[in-house]
Amino acid sequence: MPRLLTLSRRDWMRISSAGVLGGAMAPWFPALAERAATDPKRTRSCILLWMSGGPSQLDTFDPKPEHENGGEFDPIDTSVPGIQICEHLPQIARQMQDMAVIRSMSTKEGDHTRATYLARTGYLPQGPIRYPTMGSLFSKELGEQTADLPNFVSIAPNRFVSPGAYGPGFLGPQYAPLVVGDVARGGAAMDEDDSLRVRNVNLPGGVDHRQLDGRLELLGTLETGFAASRPDVTVESHQLAYEKAVRMMRSQAVGAFKLDDEDNALRDAYGRNPFGQGCLLARRLIARGVPFIEVSLNSAGDNQGLGWDTHQDNFTGVRAMCEILDPAWATLMTDLGQRGLLDSTLIIWMGEFGRTPQIAADRTGRDHFPAAWSTVLAGGGVRGGQVVGRTSEDGMKVEDRKVATNDFLATVCRALGIDPDVQNISNVGRPISIADREAEPILEILAGSTHGA
Amino acid sequence: MSTRWILSAFVAGLIGSVCLGNDAASLGPPDEVARVAAEIDRLIAAAWEANGVTPAPVADDAEFIRRAHLDICGRIPPASAVRDFLDDESADKRRRLVDRLLGTATYIVHSTNLWRAAMIPEADADQQIRFFLPGFEAWLRSRIAENRNYAQIVEEVLTFPFESAQMQQFQQPDKPTPAAFYRAKEAKPEKLAAATSRIFLGIRLECAQCHDHFFDKWKQDEFWSYAAFFASLRGEQMRPEGDAEQAAAGETESAERRTASLAPVVMIPGTERTVAAKFLDGSDPRWEADVDARQVLADWVTSPENVYFARAAVNRIWASHFGVGLVDPVDDFSVSNPPSHPEVLDLLAREFAAHDFDIKFVIRVIAATRAYGLTSRQTDESQQTPRMFARMAVKGLTPEQIFDSIAQATGYQQPFNPEEPLNFNNDQRRQEFIETFANSSDPPTERPSTILQALSLMNGEFVADATDLSESRTLAAVAEAPFLDTPQRVEALFLATLNRPPTDGESAQFSRYVSAGGTSDDPDAALGDVFWALLNSSEFLMNH
Repeated sequence: MPRLLTLSRRDWMRISSAGVLGGAMAPWFPALAERAATDPKRTRSCILLWMSGGPSQLDTFDPKPEHENGGEFDPIDTSVPGIQICEHLPQIARQMQDMAVIRSMSTKEGDHTRATYLARTGYLPQGPIRYPTMGSLFSKELGEQTADLPNFVSIAPNRFVSPGAYGPGFLGPQYAPLVVGDVARGGAAMDEDDSLRVRNVNLPGGVDHRQLDGRLELLGTLETGFAASRPDVTVESHQLAYEKAVRMMRSQAVGAFKLDDEDNALRDAYGRNPFGQGCLLARRLIARGVPFIEVSLNSAGDNQGLGWDTHQDNFTGVRAMCEILDPAWATLMTDLGQRGLLDSTLIIWMGEFGRTPQIAADRTGRDHFPAAWSTVLAGGGVRGGQVVGRTSEDGMKVEDRKVATNDFLATVCRALGIDPDVQNISNVGRPISIADREAEPILEILAGSTHGA
Repeated sequence: MSTRWILSAFVAGLIGSVCLGNDAASLGPPDEVARVAAEIDRLIAAAWEANGVTPAPVADDAEFIRRAHLDICGRIPPASAVRDFLDDESADKRRRLVDRLLGTATYIVHSTNLWRAAMIPEADADQQIRFFLPGFEAWLRSRIAENRNYAQIVEEVLTFPFESAQMQQFQQPDKPTPAAFYRAKEAKPEKLAAATSRIFLGIRLECAQCHDHFFDKWKQDEFWSYAAFFASLRGEQMRPEGDAEQAAAGETESAERRTASLAPVVMIPGTERTVAAKFLDGSDPRWEADVDARQVLADWVTSPENVYFARAAVNRIWASHFGVGLVDPVDDFSVSNPPSHPEVLDLLAREFAAHDFDIKFVIRVIAATRAYGLTSRQTDESQQTPRMFARMAVKGLTPEQIFDSIAQATGYQQPFNPEEPLNFNNDQRRQEFIETFANSSDPPTERPSTILQALSLMNGEFVADATDLSESRTLAAVAEAPFLDTPQRVEALFLATLNRPPTDGESAQFSRYVSAGGTSDDPDAALGDVFWALLNSSEFLMNH
């Protein structure tokens, strides 16, 4: 059970003695201004737009207008000649110069739980090994443990389909996400202002920061005594959570979660729904240096949390989802661009699999389809305006440039400036690399690579 | 806020000495408990010896009573019980404590929560299933309350007369019935097969549902042969026509052939193959007309000869006390995941079956082992491996344990419904709290704390009220008792939360803080700060 406990314990002690948690002399963290985009030390960040349920590739980024499998939507031109996408993504179509569409994703898992695990961790569930989700993996490489805000923020995750795919796994609790706007119950209809706040981040009425310092000093004594002879991960996790929570409470950076600071017109442009406002929150967090944010699109209107899982009535469902996705994502790109943040921010659009090209006639539905589907990479680190791979006329198979989950994750690593071979020690003691060593990154997607598109 | 405080006898209960009460618990045959515990001690000590492990010292009484309460009753002990236990000088007080706790209502509640979570884990994620929990929990509580033979409880689940048509029906959600088990598995043969084999036998068949298992022995056909026992639920029970006619023709058939044709059959999805119901050990059931297939399965599953059944159960009980199973994860008995102490597992399983599958007997044995009584302090590097059981692991609490322990410490009176005296799960405040703390997918020794949980305990309404003199029963009692000086007030709060007196250093520092009025020149508020720090400490929020 080594799991680097000694190191983090020492860190904890150091932090305790420095007075972060306790001590009347607790340091005051100054307001963290939005980091200037010109800061040469600025590292890359990542926003994962997670499409829960598995979006239909034919009705989004891989239209097949010539074939009966294509369905009822028409394709439209984009800002890049020769690339067409679905008519219900008109704003995104105008950003195509900054996006690379991968139309040749191909995996074997057609079950939500296993496919979600594979897509988000890069591995299939295997015995006792608890693989970390990509937000934990990447934020570990990109973030600083002493940041005021958590390095990994997860907005409205629909974790219940595959809980293991959303956690830090063997990396341990210090790499767990801060979750806001948990849509445990899957509903889309919630008050977006309320749902994206960090609950209980303010002191209760009648308690001021001086009193908090006094309390934390007492707590510090108890913690030091108890932890001294108990090197358990549960204790470590408790103390880390408190340390991070206190740092957030004392920091002005937590103002990032106050969306009403934003201009109303901009909020409207993102869309007044949890996903739209979640994308706005992602931008505010990126601007404050949070390296990894995921925003889940789980449902639209009254489709009761079914999201992209359009076994029934596919075209109504996909259209409703696109109407939320399109303005939110497109506004996110322009908003980041105007602040000079797009070049350093990679945006990933993906779900756990695609949908069957054939349309089930009796219910106008599309079922799970992992053999040939689409993902998109946009923004920083990506050579935009291109399509990678090709599916057959009927959409049933990949005809060119098959991309497995591993290859995809390795590509993401490269775009973020992370070595995909970085190894972490797993809970079974075996080192495991971020992306499987067999993985081949899609070099032609990477900005600055010499490969032609 | 709709909390109801019942103040009578509370001050006395908190800081004075009251009768322990409820001594009516039936004492198990003590010689049997001691005999099995001693045998386990010997086996575990042999493993220490073989691996060069130096075990930790025995836990002191305060550590033991807290642990026993959390493990058996799901909440920390009241301060009064701690004082009495510390004052008790009899040699067998730990055994008597365990016997007493097994006779309490809180044991029934906690045990129900544990087995419910094992049987219907889906409820943690699914609101619709949660809607049916009151009925399931009421049913299970009644069985646990009478300490029903575990094999009979499982048999009742397996043979419950559930018709798939019931899935659509409205049902009174609090009528005692195990029906929620079938609803949670959607009454589908494949889901019931995966769930029942995992929960009751510790065998994970589910991967074999779609393909032969990569590194284990289970094959797709075996999965569906097991699922076939539940075929009637789907109303799809198929028998090849020819076979049915021949079975009807009867006389010309051999007896073997005749019984085989009564076997329910399922078709493996995506194939043209059908398989007949067959036990997981490969043996063919003896079929008789008029006997339900699920009864046939239940007889085999719960048979004393079925080693999987007893092992899976005792392993779960072991894990709920140590945080780690003898086989871990607890529901993954396979060649690639061997037990840490195979002889202990076999011994406990054998004795469980020999004692009529008495859950309390197993708890008595485990609680009487030397390993269970060790401190959680690490005194030697060799105690690091949790599966050596050389010191007690520090376990995260379940959401219910956290809420109920805070309630115990602060004197929060959970709303009481006389119709259902043992159903605490209908308290709205408790429900909200439990949702914030739900981390059910992680094993107790790895249960993570989240930032949101820390914020909820530091700043949330529940703890804020508990540390506010005008709202908190415990705090008011301690602050206002005229006969206590400051160190005694501090001690009372330590006993109410950590269930131990403060160390000299803690007593001096905390008393000084209170006497100086904390940060606001107000000794009462400062006492609230002490209470706050105790309630937010890992020592309070962990089982150790």
